[in-house]
Amino acid sequence: MEVRPDLADAHREAWEHLAEPGSWWTGEQRLEVANTVLDALADAEPIPPWGSISAVEGRLPISPSAPAFAHDVAYRVARHAGTLTEDWYRKASEELGPLPYVELVGIVTTVAAVSRFCRSIGVDVPEFPSPVSGEPTGDVPADVVDPELNWVPVAAPADQTAAVVQAYSAVPGELGNLWRMASAQYMPAEEMIDPMWQRREGGLTRPQTELVASRVAQLRECFY
Amino acid sequence: MLRWSSAENGTDADLTAVAAGEGDVGLDHGDALVRFASATTTDDDFELAASREALVAETDEAFMVDAAAVAANFEMMTRLADGTGAAMPAAAVESQAKISQAYGVADLTSQR
Repeated sequence: MEVRPDLADAHREAWEHLAEPGSWWTGEQRLEVANTVLDALADAEPIPPWGSISAVEGRLPISPSAPAFAHDVAYRVARHAGTLTEDWYRKASEELGPLPYVELVGIVTTVAAVSRFCRSIGVDVPEFPSPVSGEPTGDVPADVVDPELNWVPVAAPADQTAAVVQAYSAVPGELGNLWRMASAQYMPAEEMIDPMWQRREGGLTRPQTELVASRVAQLRECFY
Repeated sequence: MLRWSSAENGTDADLTAVAAGEGDVGLDHGDALVRFASATTTDDDFELAASREALVAETDEAFMVDAAAVAANFEMMTRLADGTGAAMPAAAVESQAKISQAYGVADLTSQR
């Protein structure tokens, strides 16, 4: 199966990104959570939204490096994102911290995209790289504020762009990774205003692209 | 985005067909794309393989890979939106009321 080079590169870089220390989690913790996300997505008998993977014997490493609750959050976002409520988010962010929570969601979205892509085209999900050692960077924008359009904090100024655009802005590593992936998977941001945009001749037209996007979003029961 | 881009391209995408998961939506290869996009979200390996083969037969492998990439992007963006509590500005919600109705948005737990 041939995958165009820009897309293959974006996914390889995404896997490398997972293995590196983030702003809030070490590379080892990030990969451990990424494995939980893979587990959640492939789970033939998913744990219900009100359940916890940490409560099921044998599902987490014996001595996890990330808190068990972080795995519970990652499982829920990976498997039951459409059921999340603001109350649930408030409890999760009180336990983890709001920006570590955002980084966890970034891990989930990265793994969901690459693993679902591999499954869709009929190839195996690549192995994760070895974790890069080092402490979390603590990288945070100078001014982080609470927006109107997201539950999570964002880099100021808030609400000047769409909620999905600003969602990761307080965790720069996840923001950069997200838009590298989106550019290769969907379209470069600067092309979004062009209804005639096509990645290549003979490829998906813009309406065909939006048809796939709409159908997946609908089946994932995503309001946005 | 579907309604806008299809109108700009001189077609009139049938949003109810997207919501129902049936029909060609008024686009070339629409049937095969709806079937494939739907299958990517399920755990049904047989239907996924069959829909993949059907799309490749109508188009080519590179087209299918591009469609899978778009589907993957929205596996990413839907979890981002739901996980970060992303909401539409009130004016956008109002202007998109008809589209929301076509997709049954009012019934979704994630509605904000």
